[in-house]
Amino acid sequence: MEQLLNSVPSWTNVAIFFGLGAALLLMVLAFVTYGILAERKVMGFMQGRYGPNQVGGRWGLLQTVADVLKLLLKEDTIPKAADRPLFILAPILAFAPAFMVLAVLPFTDAFQFADIGVGLLYYIAVSGLTTIGVVTGGWASNNKYALIGGMRAAAQMISYEIPLVMSVLGVVLLTGSLNLNDIVEAQKNVWYIFTQPVAFIVFLIAAVSELNRTPFDLPEAESELVAGFHVEYSGFRWAFFMLAEYVYLFAMAALTTILFLGGWHPVMFLGFIPGPVWFALKFSVVVFVLIWFRATFPRLRADQLMELGWKVLFPVALANIFVTALVKELFF
Amino acid sequence: MGNVYANSYLIVFVFLCIGVLLPVGALTLGKLLRPHVPSEAKQTTYESGNNPFHDSRVQFQVRYYMFALLFVIFDVETVFLYPWAVAYNKLGLFALIEMLIFVLMLVLGLIYAWKKKVLQWM
Amino acid sequence: MSGEYLAFLALALVAITGGVLMLNLTKVVHMVIALVFTFISIAGLYVLLSAEFVAVVQVLIYSGAVTIMMLFGIMLTRHQEEEGEKTTTGGFWRKALTAIAVFAFGIAVYLGVYRLDFGEEGARLHENNTEQIGMALYSHYTIPFEIASVILLVALVGAIILAKKDDEGAPKS
Repeated sequence: MEQLLNSVPSWTNVAIFFGLGAALLLMVLAFVTYGILAERKVMGFMQGRYGPNQVGGRWGLLQTVADVLKLLLKEDTIPKAADRPLFILAPILAFAPAFMVLAVLPFTDAFQFADIGVGLLYYIAVSGLTTIGVVTGGWASNNKYALIGGMRAAAQMISYEIPLVMSVLGVVLLTGSLNLNDIVEAQKNVWYIFTQPVAFIVFLIAAVSELNRTPFDLPEAESELVAGFHVEYSGFRWAFFMLAEYVYLFAMAALTTILFLGGWHPVMFLGFIPGPVWFALKFSVVVFVLIWFRATFPRLRADQLMELGWKVLFPVALANIFVTALVKELFF
Repeated sequence: MGNVYANSYLIVFVFLCIGVLLPVGALTLGKLLRPHVPSEAKQTTYESGNNPFHDSRVQFQVRYYMFALLFVIFDVETVFLYPWAVAYNKLGLFALIEMLIFVLMLVLGLIYAWKKKVLQWM
Repeated sequence: MSGEYLAFLALALVAITGGVLMLNLTKVVHMVIALVFTFISIAGLYVLLSAEFVAVVQVLIYSGAVTIMMLFGIMLTRHQEEEGEKTTTGGFWRKALTAIAVFAFGIAVYLGVYRLDFGEEGARLHENNTEQIGMALYSHYTIPFEIASVILLVALVGAIILAKKDDEGAPKS
């Protein structure tokens, strides 16, 4: 990849990148397929149930595949009252940024794509575009539940984006770069989860909220809003909203690994185990924790949610930045 | 422009293309497979089984807008914080004081919003 | 580099199309979405100019934050009335005058751009772009930077005062 990045840009390069990107896409789709299955299995285990165990043997290995095929064959209805062009555009607006953010994530020192100087900020900026897709989808449906769900989702996403962005600044201060490769390199000896514990906690809470997962899954609160902004969506259009959500789960787990858990660096003396294995391990732990949260926490109320973001997480993240800067100034 | 720079943004562009092509492709392909039997009842807007009444584009409360505004203001603040954090190694104590003044100003704004109960949802 | 030229043409085309659509569409939400495409292609143009930090900020602030604020602003207002018939504007002379003005502006910009002396082109802009901005901003431009914070504070407080005044008169929903 490094050789390729240093070559003169050409159409051949575009073709190669396209092939590699498609390969990554297949990998992500495989992750989503089995991530959903793992989520259902783990939650089943935690709640004393079996989870899927019929399609594809004892482990239900083909359950998600069957679900996707079913979705593919579902009729696609667009309500008469809906705003047709925006209704069609919204899932694409929500999904395309989800895939675009993967371009800058370094999975291992060899397996990575774009190496840009502002990688971290790129991730945050591009992932913010999904909010527009969500509001657009809610508005275009011309449905009361959808619009309220969309607005709530947007209000939540923007409220938690600020603490998310601020918490990461502690890491940036210690590294002195926004390039994700540099950030991983700086954690060769000590992971940032140990030097920036406050930032990590704020980041994790804000990340769960950005992903719209329990306990922050208000936009999709099925008991209050039916299903939130995608009530009117069916079949594959709906599938793309869900896919975007799970691609973000993939991306956010990978980002957490890169920022706080040292990326592909091994634990202490266990250097003989190759980097990709380490990355996969840490990544799986993060995904497992997110599923664990979902099975454990009850949903927050809307007012608690907003106040937690602005009155607790934001000041804490801000204070963390200045404490970090001060400590760095005085002791290093 | 360096080669790495150009190639990296080519990759970003390629990812954008894939991100758009996948939904478009999958939906076009799905058109061949899925049934298409529209009916009046199917195409009405869902409203818990009732016939939809009034316009659904209701007027939202001003507090949604307030949160959006707070978001814009503090997003601009983070944009200033990022280059500061990156260049902090080479800037030193003076930059820290500079940034403290800057952030204190905005914290004042936050406290004002807090006191005026803008941060309250209900 | 022809690839760069091609990218410029494509991005400029999207930016202009987005702008024209924004002016011509009838529904407000459609206009905002058209504007998003303009914002994103402008970010692409910044990337071509080796200003990656500015490009990302463009996406973050304009395509992300400002657009959401506009959408929320639209949701705040009733907007059925303005989706009515378009009124035809002006007679022949008015159109002719507008066309002449547009051409004159175009020529002026053309001449201005081609006579402009950019000085020495920074060859190392793409390396540590963010750090260079940070160094310049916090050592040479301290006062403008602090004034920016005052402006942001004024915007925040002013908006809260206006909204609170509005809120008291509005019905609870």
